[in-house]
Amino acid sequence: MFTVRRWWDRYGPRFFVTGLVLAAALFLRQTQGAFVSELYYRMVQSFQPGPTPQERWADARVSELETKLVNIEQQNQKLQELLDYTETYQGELIAAPVIGRSVDHWWKQVTLGRGSTSGIKTGYVVSSPGGLVGRVIKVTPNTSRVLLASDPTSKVGGKIARNNFMGYIRGEGSDTAVMEFFDKVPDVKPGDKIVTSPVSYLFPAGIPIGTVETVDLEKSPAPEVVVKFTAPFDYLEWVVVHPFESRL
Amino acid sequence: MLRFLDFSPRFRSFCNWLIVVGSILLCLMILPTRLPGTELLGIRPNWLLIWVVVWSVKRNAYQGAIAGIALGLIQDGLTAFDGVPMVDGIMPPNFEGSEGSTTDLLLSYPSHVITLMLVGILTAKIQKQRYIQEDFISIALIVFGMAVVAETITAIQYSIQGLRNITLVWTEHQRIALSSAILSSLWAPVLYYPLNRWWEYMSDRDQSL
Repeated sequence: MFTVRRWWDRYGPRFFVTGLVLAAALFLRQTQGAFVSELYYRMVQSFQPGPTPQERWADARVSELETKLVNIEQQNQKLQELLDYTETYQGELIAAPVIGRSVDHWWKQVTLGRGSTSGIKTGYVVSSPGGLVGRVIKVTPNTSRVLLASDPTSKVGGKIARNNFMGYIRGEGSDTAVMEFFDKVPDVKPGDKIVTSPVSYLFPAGIPIGTVETVDLEKSPAPEVVVKFTAPFDYLEWVVVHPFESRL
Repeated sequence: MLRFLDFSPRFRSFCNWLIVVGSILLCLMILPTRLPGTELLGIRPNWLLIWVVVWSVKRNAYQGAIAGIALGLIQDGLTAFDGVPMVDGIMPPNFEGSEGSTTDLLLSYPSHVITLMLVGILTAKIQKQRYIQEDFISIALIVFGMAVVAETITAIQYSIQGLRNITLVWTEHQRIALSSAILSSLWAPVLYYPLNRWWEYMSDRDQSL
């Protein structure tokens, strides 16, 4: 008893403080830093950018429209056949400013300045002028965290806009990504537009993703194609959030 | 106020906690921003790592480890995606691939806890008195080394879990480790100078009483 008492007298306060610190940190871990995100939102609110910088995105916008057009032409041709073709966008779109970047270089995420009070939910899909940006992975009342399509853990089901060859696009941490096809010999050439595929669980069909840069059909086990994202990940300032329930 | 600070140890210790928590919050607030001058090739300084180094440099390994674990947990929270289906399940009609529809990445994801804990312990274990002078340059050097160590540990974690393409991880590692080490070491004095002044003042006062 005495030794316990002496131990406590000596190490008790330290033990207590350590426990407190770790408990606080664990709390932040479990809530995925919701408190920090909210605080950050309050901080940057005064530095918010004004209206959208339209000019800078003019090029990206044109590219997006081109991609959409190719897709729609193809969609028109095959509308009767594609009975399971789902609605591209459902519900009302939410515009949101990008207020922060990922807190670690290995992760490709952005923080948006709108959250559950604006109706955003986890799993909603984010796009910008240019095309697909990513998916909402965490929502707090005023902020939401988005996993970019360029993150190496992100896999997006995609297809070539002008035909139906499908595959998935794996982020590489930069503004290009690798697309792997399911078919052995897909009909693909540089310049092809890639859109999200209609069989993807996590994304609505038909959102432009990028343009094919190089093609390597010899790659084993599946042909590999380098895709350049049309969304300007480095200059994102405003994005659009599409309500979407994942089909899982 | 200053007089009061001088003579009341309780108030001083309260202020110390305020400064510690405040400086961590400040780091957390700077982390997602892109302040001009803090970016090199799209990489920004690792503020939490700087904080852990500044904290551990004059403390023992135990204190360094606890700080590393705590900040690691917080950073894990800020990057985590708990319970979110991650890998897009694409089911082509006749593709017998190995891609699962969803994968729970929670456990297999690299953690900042290990990284920052090791940084804390290593920094505390460096025998500064013997090898390195106590000044800005040495802090910058330690931060440089620790940033490289930290990114390497992350890269090793990625390589072990095999979620990413390994060659990609290591090319990325070169880019990230170098830029992050340079930037972090250049920005380290910004955090080190005020905190060190405060802690020196604290220990002066505590000893004189």
